[in-house]
Amino acid sequence: MTTEALALIVFLPLLAAAGAVVLPTAWLGLSIRVGLMPLPLLLLIPTLEVLENGAYRIALAGHSAPLGIAWQLDPLSLLMLWLNVGMTLLISLHANCSFRPGQPHAHRFWPLWLLLFAGMNALLLSADLFNIYVTLELVTLTAIGLIALEGKPPALRAAMRYLLLALLASLLYLLGVGLIYGQTGVLDLYLLAERLAPGWLSVTAIALMIVGLLIKAAIFPLHAWLPAAHGNAPGPVSAILSAMVVKVSIYLIWRLWFWGVPEWDLDRAALLLGVLGGMAIVYGSLAALVQQRLKLIIAYSTVAQLGYLLLLFPLASTLAFQAASYHLLSHGMAKAAMFLAAANILRSLGTDRLRHLAGIDQRLPLDVFALALGGVSIMGLPPSGGFLAKWLFLEAAWSARAWSWLILIALGGLLAAAYLFRVLAVVCLHPRRRGNHRHLKRTPDTASLAAMLLAVGAIIAGFTSAPILDLVEAGLPPGLPR
Amino acid sequence: MIGLALDLLIIVSLIGLAIQSINAASLFRGILHFVVLGLAMSLAWARLDAPDLAMAEAAIGAGVTGALMMIAYRRLIEIQPDQESSLRPPPSRLAVPIALAAGALVGVIGLAAIQAEPMPALAGTAVLENLGSTGLGNPITGVLLLFRGFDTLLEITVLLAALLSAQAVTRQVDLDQSLTTQDPDTPLVGALLAIVVPLTVLVSVHLLKAGGQETGGAFQAGAVLAACGVLLVLTGRLGASRQYSPLVNTGLLVGLLSFILIGLAPLLWGQPLLALPGLWAIYWIESAMMISIALTLVLLFAGAGSLKRRDHG
Amino acid sequence: MDSATLYVLAAAVLFGIGVHGLIVSAHLMRKLFAINIMGSSIFILLVATATPISGQADPIPQALVLTGIVIAVSATAFGLALMVRMSQETGKATLAVEDEPENDD
Repeated sequence: MTTEALALIVFLPLLAAAGAVVLPTAWLGLSIRVGLMPLPLLLLIPTLEVLENGAYRIALAGHSAPLGIAWQLDPLSLLMLWLNVGMTLLISLHANCSFRPGQPHAHRFWPLWLLLFAGMNALLLSADLFNIYVTLELVTLTAIGLIALEGKPPALRAAMRYLLLALLASLLYLLGVGLIYGQTGVLDLYLLAERLAPGWLSVTAIALMIVGLLIKAAIFPLHAWLPAAHGNAPGPVSAILSAMVVKVSIYLIWRLWFWGVPEWDLDRAALLLGVLGGMAIVYGSLAALVQQRLKLIIAYSTVAQLGYLLLLFPLASTLAFQAASYHLLSHGMAKAAMFLAAANILRSLGTDRLRHLAGIDQRLPLDVFALALGGVSIMGLPPSGGFLAKWLFLEAAWSARAWSWLILIALGGLLAAAYLFRVLAVVCLHPRRRGNHRHLKRTPDTASLAAMLLAVGAIIAGFTSAPILDLVEAGLPPGLPR
Repeated sequence: MIGLALDLLIIVSLIGLAIQSINAASLFRGILHFVVLGLAMSLAWARLDAPDLAMAEAAIGAGVTGALMMIAYRRLIEIQPDQESSLRPPPSRLAVPIALAAGALVGVIGLAAIQAEPMPALAGTAVLENLGSTGLGNPITGVLLLFRGFDTLLEITVLLAALLSAQAVTRQVDLDQSLTTQDPDTPLVGALLAIVVPLTVLVSVHLLKAGGQETGGAFQAGAVLAACGVLLVLTGRLGASRQYSPLVNTGLLVGLLSFILIGLAPLLWGQPLLALPGLWAIYWIESAMMISIALTLVLLFAGAGSLKRRDHG
Repeated sequence: MDSATLYVLAAAVLFGIGVHGLIVSAHLMRKLFAINIMGSSIFILLVATATPISGQADPIPQALVLTGIVIAVSATAFGLALMVRMSQETGKATLAVEDEPENDD
């Protein structure tokens, strides 16, 4: 059953994408539903399997590694899959308003959206380094197509820059994969641990792959493409980009690091990655402070929040892993909520320039509320998923006696509070708040609902952490300190 | 000795053509050099004992990419005839040192990889050992369809994604401008097509069939077939269309759909996912992929969502 | 010097040319040339450094490169379409820095 369910989790969205292309427009809605709605139910089956028996492995075509490609589902990939499925579904609810079948870009949007979804699921399941390369390309090309979809010049430029950098990144990753094959004769990620000895060539190979992935994850100083891309994409696209697409690259670095080469002595490299993460937090937050557009503020906030995911490398403990995974989850929901709310505001107002936002809380209360709730989680205020994640990070730094990381994490929270309060202050407290918004367009209810659901999810994540943290702990690589 | 001289010749032309394609005085000359670079790459693959890559590079790398670049160039000069006069190259004081460092890094990595203790290539060895039982003679087809078939499935998905993304950014207003340059109704064109079209179809079918045992496969065959389609577009027999066509769209997807459905089917009788049930499945999927690949490439060339036949008396 | 070494050196030079072209070219089509040249250089490296298996070429790197070539063409095709659209919207096929204020709508 588990194999069948996982097969459908990848192939159903693919088939639906094909259906969305082949079938006449009248059938588009059906394709979308078939490709998305059964997924949570399907995912229950492998979830039960993993909770009961631990990691689950499928040799595709019956050829086990090193000959063939394998899928491997363990607690961490299970968590990521749930995240991808849950957020894609909720964001699709929103997308169904802006790209309702029959509207101008709908028949372009949905096939790409479904392909992106399928590509992410395949990426998260794949245990094969080269197969991961192909899934990364699928994710990148569909993501960039979605960014440029509406054909506005800033989005086109951002898409082009993203494409060139992503291609460069893919080449670095591919070179690394080739070198690893030369060193080990295998391509399976989970066979590396015993076969890849730390010579300088294999270190270079891993380093090339990591640099490629850091570009795709937009980690400072390789972040330059992200704000324009995420800030100019259509709302649902910005949401999934920030919530999932950049994060799977970091997820892959975790995989390489803690599962691929767990025996290596990587302290200095870990420190370097941690420093990059710290610089991302500081730089991204400061840049978010000076932006004039809401979506750009949220995009720079992503640059900053991604930094936390790198603190896992220097801290390297069970607690840090729980913190980072939980941050990934709660930031995903909060950021998706904020981007969707911002999209609703942009749609209603025709602009998302900060100075035009004064007083919109009276006209768009639900969207502003979703924006604020998402902000609460990003700042790490209790009670929210973001608070819990930051708290776990602090705890991890405390028990590792890593004072500088501790200070950094606290500082990051303060900076986030600064740039988000700046937004809320303009919206709710500005003296000109009785601004004239009579020309406001109404937001469809489901669009606001989707943003609200995600924002509430990010808050609720602060209360329901135990099963998720246990799940993360169950899936940790062996040999990680508490 | 002759081999070495040949290698040197190929390498010198690779480097020369690469420099020329980027630095040529006009963009058009750059494209020409880039296409010839693809052909030189194809020779390099032949010398590196990789005939499948040689054919793929000639058909896909040089042929298809070249055609796509030419047509993109034409669209560019329709917008702005003088493509480069207004462009200032970005400030580049660091360009040379960075390029030198990057090249040196790649060189050092490559030399170290050659000199490293040869590791047993477990995956490759397993492929060669298991090939005998499959009925295939070409190990690369074995890897692409049987042993690592999922890569190929996703690869044609990437190609589809590229087409969909390209269509998403293509402005649909100026679609109906014909791509044909000369009068397509001269009798000579018809006669030419009557010979060339069946011939290219024959070649691609041969490439497809050969792929199982020797050099060839769906991608090479699809690229050759696409060349035929491009010819039909250029001579006005096929035109870009905005109208939804079930036939075109089915052809576009038949490769991916066949692969997925035949790959899922084994689950019904307890076989592993994607375990293709016999040689017929391989040939079916390859033929379907050939059609899809060719159509995708022609649509990319035409910059259109669909195609329609045009009649010429 | 055997031919594998020669091709590795050629790959290094090609990669350098690609990097240089990517930096100094203003026109997007030339940037796409450059990226493709870098890609070809990596492909050559992967095949030239592969160890033969009892006299036969290892099929894995070749199959991977074949996949890589198709992916490169796909990305290039999309890049060209994107470039044409940019040029239609802005009149120029370039990513020039000066016309990109970060806060434009």
